[in-house]
Amino acid sequence: MLTFIGLGLYDERSITVEGREALAGADRAFAEFYTSRLVGTTVEALESFHDIGIDVRDRAGVERDPAPILDAAEDEDVAFLTAGDTMISTTHVDLRLRAHERGIETRVIHGVSAQSAAAGLTGLQNYRFGKATTLPFPGAHGGGDVPDSVIETIEANRERDLHTLVYLDIKVDDPTADAAGLGEDERYMTGDYAAGLLAEHWADELGVVVARAGSPEPVVAADRLSELADREFGGPLHLLVVPAAPHHLEAEALEELAGAPTALLDEN
Amino acid sequence: MGRRKKIVQECERLMDTPENIRNIAIAAHVDHGKTTLSDNLLAGAGMISEGTAGEQLAMDTKEDEQERGITIDAANVSMTHEYEDTNHLINLIDTPGHVDFGGDVTRAMRAVDGALVVVDAVEGAMPQTETVLRQALREGVKPTLFINKVDRLISELQEGEEEMQERLLGVISDVNELIRGMIEEMDDIDDDWTVSVEEGTVGFGSALYKWGVSMPSMQRTGISFQDIIDLERNDKRDELHERSPLSDVVLDMVCEHFPNPVDAQPRRVPRIWRGDAESELAEDMRLVNEDGEVVFMVTDISMDPHAGEIATGRVFSGTLEKGQDLYVSGTAGQNRIQSVGLFMGSEREEVDRVPAGNIASVTGLRDAIAGSTVSSVEMTPFESIEHISEPVITKSVEAQTMDDLPKLIETLQQVAKEDPTIQIEINEDTGEHLISGQGELHLEVITQRIEKDQGIPVNTGEPIVVYREQPQEESREVEGVSPNRHNKFYISIHPMDQEIVEAIQRGEVSMDMPELERREALQEAGMDKDTSQNVETIHGTNILIDDTKGIQHLNETMELVVEGLSEALDDGPLAAEPVQGTLLRLHDARLHEDTIHRGPAQVIPAVREAVHHALIDGEIRLLEPIQNVRIDVPSEHMGAASGEIQGRRGRVDDMYQEGGLMVVEGVAPVGEMIGFSSDIRSATEGRASWNTENAGFRVMADNLQREKIMEIRERKGMKLELPESIDYL
Repeated sequence: MLTFIGLGLYDERSITVEGREALAGADRAFAEFYTSRLVGTTVEALESFHDIGIDVRDRAGVERDPAPILDAAEDEDVAFLTAGDTMISTTHVDLRLRAHERGIETRVIHGVSAQSAAAGLTGLQNYRFGKATTLPFPGAHGGGDVPDSVIETIEANRERDLHTLVYLDIKVDDPTADAAGLGEDERYMTGDYAAGLLAEHWADELGVVVARAGSPEPVVAADRLSELADREFGGPLHLLVVPAAPHHLEAEALEELAGAPTALLDEN
Repeated sequence: MGRRKKIVQECERLMDTPENIRNIAIAAHVDHGKTTLSDNLLAGAGMISEGTAGEQLAMDTKEDEQERGITIDAANVSMTHEYEDTNHLINLIDTPGHVDFGGDVTRAMRAVDGALVVVDAVEGAMPQTETVLRQALREGVKPTLFINKVDRLISELQEGEEEMQERLLGVISDVNELIRGMIEEMDDIDDDWTVSVEEGTVGFGSALYKWGVSMPSMQRTGISFQDIIDLERNDKRDELHERSPLSDVVLDMVCEHFPNPVDAQPRRVPRIWRGDAESELAEDMRLVNEDGEVVFMVTDISMDPHAGEIATGRVFSGTLEKGQDLYVSGTAGQNRIQSVGLFMGSEREEVDRVPAGNIASVTGLRDAIAGSTVSSVEMTPFESIEHISEPVITKSVEAQTMDDLPKLIETLQQVAKEDPTIQIEINEDTGEHLISGQGELHLEVITQRIEKDQGIPVNTGEPIVVYREQPQEESREVEGVSPNRHNKFYISIHPMDQEIVEAIQRGEVSMDMPELERREALQEAGMDKDTSQNVETIHGTNILIDDTKGIQHLNETMELVVEGLSEALDDGPLAAEPVQGTLLRLHDARLHEDTIHRGPAQVIPAVREAVHHALIDGEIRLLEPIQNVRIDVPSEHMGAASGEIQGRRGRVDDMYQEGGLMVVEGVAPVGEMIGFSSDIRSATEGRASWNTENAGFRVMADNLQREKIMEIRERKGMKLELPESIDYL
């Protein structure tokens, strides 16, 4: 049995009760932290909290050499852990399919995803989000500063009056490093940096930065993208929303919960 | 005023009259006496003293050159010569004859309009005589012939007048046969470029004893062959020199028979420049217009301890002056000229300006490399200078002390800039850098320079032969899947037509040229029209064709596709040696919506996998570099000499008698030729003289493939098993 368990957004306590019980009942646990991190905790803290050893796999150890995970899952109860939800922003459907190919039973225990937090914290209606996109670090994807596909996604959503959730790139060159201790080679794109990149295309448009969703003190800030580019939002992880013209209740929420300037909301 | 200063002033005065300028190179087979001849010319022009010509080797400016007695780099010098009451400015480049330094010869030919080919009277035309002739003619450079070491025919071989004339005519007809064969393929040269005694395009003499004659000089001085034989036999060589000094004869020949820039450039420019022939720039170059836009072709980069990096080359148009901001092809922005000068042997003399038609040496062009086009307006660069041979041998170089590391890297980069036939691979992690070059000697010389000139003690590894990998047949369409399985690429390969490979090697096809021209050049080399329109990139001698249509996000991902492809081709599937001569087609691709899920970690491995699988499906095999070998040896050692070739997995193609010696010609793998020089010496009691010439790559025999692949894999620390799909070896 292979159980995919989402750990949620922030620390060892962000997991659901169901997930916690499933993990407690597992014989072995694997995890990957190259797609995202729990910035409020460490692998050691996770291990002692759940009283189980966690084998952290790097990208190659999941995508290219998943055999050890699948071998173990053939005759034991194995848990596979990621931050957030294992199937939303991190796309581990491949591993699940491989397990099925080998006749291994699987199940998914959901975690809170950044996607729901984005709607939840900003007050923007989940029903109005269009295609999501990731903004990569310049040069990391083989295009210009902002890839055309990112621009096109935001444009297309705006044309259809939809919000865009923009995930921000993380660069983890040493994935086995401590899951929360930010290793030297790790880079997390910040909301202000992302706003700066997008401001080259939409300087005066409204943007919303969400920092440390799921932590006790998340920060939510709405302003013009060019203004957001000059602010600081503290430690990772961050994400950015480029809203369409807000509905009246959404506008109220952005003003009250995210400090959006009234004048700006009136413009939109 | 010093004599030298006077010459410089005279040169400056003559620079403005292109009709009286001759830009020439001296080229020959190794040891046939180019440099000694050059020194004669310098002495004749008053640049060095008479007594020392022949032993001074003024053109061999580096210590290692004088020690080895061979020229390694091309060296430049300007001098003046009075011919028919008119003073002429002669810009001379001496070139190395050893095959390992062939790149220097090719570059020198770009700068000149005439090549004085020197041939040893005893040895006759040799393999590199043919090579330098081909290099000259391909650049549109007119040849004349000087037959050197005639004294040896008289005093050593004791030949009489008739025998001697017969031998000289033999040499001339051999050289003419080579020229005729090469000219046939060139439609822009209508004139007869063969050399002839009657025309005065052939000279004879002895550079060592500083005398020379030609038909016109014999008529003028009244000296006869019999006089020469008598004077030589009676040890009256000084008298011979006084009556018929070599430098006068040769420099007269240069002034009379070599084209001046005004005559040469209209023919040469279309040959070496593919820009718009109707443009003003083309007109400036054809007319050698000193008031036109500046066009300067860099043929050599050298280091001067005081002036820094010096770029030497030919001014095709305009006038070079200090303070000009000029574009350097292949780089962004401009470089400012710090100083302008002429070369006078080992030293450089600064002048105010150098106009079109001359060879100049300037400082300040920090972005230029040998081969750069430098100009006052942005322009189509000159054709890449052809390097006939690719690197075949690699050696690792490591600084003995950590402190020298930065300096070593800087020096290696400098070396690569000066000599584009050298390839450098810097590895900052291991500190073990790789230099690849044309042969054992080539690399030995480079390492010595690092140690002696730069004072960096280094450890070097054993020479390692560079191999290649190439598929032998067309593959099926193969799928490459990204690690996250969200992306797929469909690629097939087939071996590329030799003609297209050669067009790339000659620089006739490159990604630097405008797309339309590239298409035409590819079609000319035999590629069909549709394919030529879809060229996405050229990597080495491999081409990627994008046959996909309208795949969303592919343009954004193409850079990563190319990266994956480059990795796959740089490290082939057999032994991580470079793949050559392969045409790759991208048929289709499936991409994930989001950039992050089709980033480098996904696309590069997917493409690499697809390329490697396709290459294996195309039965890729290992190729080894081979050399043509020629050994001249007394007949009693002939068996031992041919045994040395055969014992090295070589093949003897021909054995024949020539000038009292037996000549053994054959082919052998470069890898087996390491250590040849001492083996042949002991096998023939030191009586053999020999030459090698790189002759490209050849597929290794099937029964040797696996063994050699494993040997390379072991050396590189790779897995000692091949992918299962390689079941054909």
